[in-house]
Amino acid sequence: MGFEWNQRTSLEKLIFLKFIIMETNLFYTEKSRFMNYFYFEIRSRVIISLQRVSLFLFFLLSPFLSRAQDYDLLLKGGRLIDAKNKIDAKMDVAVKDGKISRVSADIPVTAAKKVLNVSGLIVAPGLINIHTHVFAGSNPGFLDGQSSQLPDAFAIRSGITTVVDAGTTGWRTFPEFKAKVIDPSVTRVLAWINIFETGFSSGSGFEPDMGTVSVQKTAETIQKYKEYIVGTRVGHYKGKSWIPFERASEAAKIANTPLFVECHMPQYTLQEQLDHMSPGDIITHSFENVSERMTVVDEQGKVRPFVLDAQKRGVLFDVGHGGAGFWFNQAIPAFNQGLWPNSFGTDEHRTSMNSGMKNMLNVMSKYLNIGMSIPEVIARGSWNAAKSIKREDLGNLSEGSVADIAVLSIINGKFGFVDSGQNRIEGDRKLEAELTVRAGRIVWDLNGLAANTYK
Amino acid sequence: MKTFKEFNSCLFHYRVVSLIVLFFMAFQTLHGQEIDILLKGGHVVDPKNKIDSKMDVAILNGKIFRVAANIPESSAKKTVDVSGLYVSPGIIDMHVHVFQGTDKYSTSVANSSRSQQADAFSFRSGVTTMVDAGTSGWRNFRTFKAQSIDKSQTRILAFLNVIGNGMIGRFEEQDINDMNPEMNAYMIKKLFPEILVGIKSAHYWGEFTSVDKAIESGRLADVPIMVDFGEHMPTNSIESLFLKHFRPGDIFTHTYSEISSGRESIVDEKTRVLKPFVLEAQKRGVIFDVGHGGGAFSWSQAIPAYKQGFLPDVISSDLHDQSMNAGMKDMTNVMSKFLALGMQLKDVIERSTWAPAKVIKRTDLGHLSVGAEADIAVFNLREGKFGFTDVRKVSVVGTKKLEAELTLRAGKIMWDLNGISGQAWKN
Repeated sequence: MGFEWNQRTSLEKLIFLKFIIMETNLFYTEKSRFMNYFYFEIRSRVIISLQRVSLFLFFLLSPFLSRAQDYDLLLKGGRLIDAKNKIDAKMDVAVKDGKISRVSADIPVTAAKKVLNVSGLIVAPGLINIHTHVFAGSNPGFLDGQSSQLPDAFAIRSGITTVVDAGTTGWRTFPEFKAKVIDPSVTRVLAWINIFETGFSSGSGFEPDMGTVSVQKTAETIQKYKEYIVGTRVGHYKGKSWIPFERASEAAKIANTPLFVECHMPQYTLQEQLDHMSPGDIITHSFENVSERMTVVDEQGKVRPFVLDAQKRGVLFDVGHGGAGFWFNQAIPAFNQGLWPNSFGTDEHRTSMNSGMKNMLNVMSKYLNIGMSIPEVIARGSWNAAKSIKREDLGNLSEGSVADIAVLSIINGKFGFVDSGQNRIEGDRKLEAELTVRAGRIVWDLNGLAANTYK
Repeated sequence: MKTFKEFNSCLFHYRVVSLIVLFFMAFQTLHGQEIDILLKGGHVVDPKNKIDSKMDVAILNGKIFRVAANIPESSAKKTVDVSGLYVSPGIIDMHVHVFQGTDKYSTSVANSSRSQQADAFSFRSGVTTMVDAGTSGWRNFRTFKAQSIDKSQTRILAFLNVIGNGMIGRFEEQDINDMNPEMNAYMIKKLFPEILVGIKSAHYWGEFTSVDKAIESGRLADVPIMVDFGEHMPTNSIESLFLKHFRPGDIFTHTYSEISSGRESIVDEKTRVLKPFVLEAQKRGVIFDVGHGGGAFSWSQAIPAYKQGFLPDVISSDLHDQSMNAGMKDMTNVMSKFLALGMQLKDVIERSTWAPAKVIKRTDLGHLSVGAEADIAVFNLREGKFGFTDVRKVSVVGTKKLEAELTLRAGKIMWDLNGISGQAWKN
């Protein structure tokens, strides 16, 4: 383990240890009471005086500070693709205080403390993966479990700055998820809340007590955590009753959020599922080819008319690749007939990560090679995804937005892409994440763009 | 209840049936497709067997069946064309932290989300064996085993921390009363000899107590110790560690660390001269492990050391939350840094396969000998302009980068970057 601790001087370490000892009242004795009082008294006086000094300095220096080097970071010379603002052009992006400060054709290098040359690269809003399972813990299964993935291990290295957990938790388990995963992660973690009270540990494979499938509790939880919860989710339900589906939909409507419809609901037909969905609701695993659900493309290779009708009504289709949820014999005919995914949710979990899925850039690259253009792919990985979860503050590079940025390269070569049935297509382009910026901070730098060259 | 006679006749029938089955199987293997998977046309680098040439590799029943030039395709049920790629023994990452969990009382890597999930980083980097570097001690090793080791597809071995509680927090790691050599040796020798390969001493603030307790444990269990010699106040002498305390085969990790205090560097920070006792120590059998991590790899150490004739014995990542998205990234990236430094590919592979296997005394691993478990990494050596960053945000440009194309664990394909083992999709 190489820790920041290693980089501290002995004096800093001593101060830190003293701080810990005093703050936690380690070695507390009657004799130390006076010392403790003394310590806290001194500490509060020091803090107050420091605050005064810094305020004074701030006012004194502010006229000078605003002149030179306005920006913390300048990404210069890249191809900026920002679907929200309809930009696909060579543009510079300047970041200040964690926000997008300016987007313009030629921002002078002297205006920024740090300038990165990103010419030849794509500058996109930080990507959004709306279908993941990230409540990783030590239990069997997904909930606080070994089947989920840690968000920071996957997102950042794929240019993703926001992931949405797909209903791993319900209203009872969400607070624990927030404490254990959402709060400590570098990646922004949002969530679809499961209509089943404990999320993945309930509802799967058996008939749950319908008394626990609560519209009120779910809607209240969304309201309470509206900064994190983007909608409700139904899936993994083997029963015949429509109560779970209808209540998930009802809770979503009360909270004014979409409903996210997952898989493994063999008693519901595809048409019934789509008929129960409102405009803006999202179905995932769109291009799966499994016995549990009817496929979107029929045996003759035609997209079923009721699927196209649903799309016309405003139902959104997420990829939800997963281990078994993406088949070329579905995705390619669907693409050719106009059924395009609105977002590239990966359905990240233990068994999908090393299969045909791999990471979201790999999923996006599949569509790049199927025939989607670069701006169309980027839009679906950022702005379309943001809109679908009603988080229009994300997925764009508008001035004032949080500086979540993905700098991507397109590598040319001979690549192969496989689906859930081990079928392979060839391609000549592949996306790779060069640099990921989260709230203005560089959190991934593949080739050391922001590093100093060794001398 | 069956009588003894009935039981005996059952047994007889069982024997007859199994003989017939065996005969049938033998007949099958003699005729037709006797190989499960054939990796054809690749450049095999197997340092143990001194192979560095174009060879085919045949796999049967999860084991290496044959390594030879021109094994016919007709003898295989499945052939994967790996021409243009390098075929290596599955990589052994000898320094990781994979005791992932959500223990709210842990402030470090033990049983916390600061450790990573082995399978999320292993196969996509060609790694088939990970050695956890002392994240758990004897008190929590069983928890680690139950929730991480037993659940992973990656083979996970481990150094047991000299501290019973392992790495649950810095203060706990200072508790010399929790260093129990007899218990440590009992765990390694008697209870988990298949998994535990050594003892780890780390993060200790005092003098040599932790190292000496680790060595005592190592002596009792007949295993090497790995030392992260950081965070001492004041700094301890590495010369003393190497020449007075270490036994041959003991491991110094974070070899290229350069920090302002707490740990002595192997290259003098002012003159940039490799300290003379370092090569002497290596000659005497001290093992130098990279253990890149989030703070332990500086070009200002690695480059002068390399130029003065010092190579690491083992290349490893020190995977954890602070290293994975920083300069370290993954094992292939760390290996590629040594290519950028000027090392030959076969030397880099040796230090990531056969060398660590020997260090942890698991000579059944890290090679492609016939009969060995078929843990295999197939690499693409990308050409281009790549930047490799150290922990001080200093970068070096290289022209080659390893990429894991195909990874097999016990003969099973666990990772296939470009689907070379899949079939072409037909509309």
